[in-house]
Amino acid sequence: MMKAGLRHAGEVAVLDLAGKITIGEGDVVLRDKVHELLDAGKNKILLNLQAVTYMDSAGIGELVACYKRAREKGGAVRLLNPSGKVFDLLQLTKLEQVFDTFRDESEALKSF
Amino acid sequence: MAAETSVQIAIASDVRLVDVVHGAAERVAEIAGFAEEDALSAALAVREAVINAVKHGNGCDPALSVDVVLEAGREGFRATVRDRGRGFDPGAAPDPTAEGNRLRTHGRGLLLIRAFVDEVRFRYAEGQGMEVELIKKRRAESAA
Repeated sequence: MMKAGLRHAGEVAVLDLAGKITIGEGDVVLRDKVHELLDAGKNKILLNLQAVTYMDSAGIGELVACYKRAREKGGAVRLLNPSGKVFDLLQLTKLEQVFDTFRDESEALKSF
Repeated sequence: MAAETSVQIAIASDVRLVDVVHGAAERVAEIAGFAEEDALSAALAVREAVINAVKHGNGCDPALSVDVVLEAGREGFRATVRDRGRGFDPGAAPDPTAEGNRLRTHGRGLLLIRAFVDEVRFRYAEGQGMEVELIKKRRAESAA
């Protein structure tokens, strides 16, 4: 099961995700957490992917859905430290050209 | 590809069971001699084929099964995933990496399958459903 820890850094909500973002589990957790943040008016969201081991097509689809939802609310979803298979998947799907992606958290926070 | 050992799994069309097949596929790929990274790639390809079979082939009807065969052999890893659906044209799926399609929330399964194994074949037989065959070949660096 994917875990999602929430931190706040100023106006930015940082979701520390750990595990896998896959169909029926991680994708649901991600959707629910991002929904909660957007409903609470927190529309600047940084997803920390460092501890995410892999995603499937459903998880990738949910990542895109979160990006679109935040944008509709005038905010943004950005990515921190995708590694290994997650980085490969972002490249393969060309979503690394869609998402603003950062290696350094302080740089990511400044970007909002 | 001659199989040295194999696993057969039939699951109901329930996405909660996809992980069962994923775990088995990863293990069989390891038995076939793939290192962790490549075994995960093989399992991800099988995973996507099973998701397609459950959702699109069988329409998430729990009465319809998805039949999976996983084989480890000297040459590598082979999997077949069969649904009970009406088949589809894999060539008709839009390219999810095209600029206008990147914000779509669906349609990346075939891209992942093709990226993570060496050979993909689709076979449809009337009344028997769609079968997808996946082959991942061992290379020198994957040899145990």
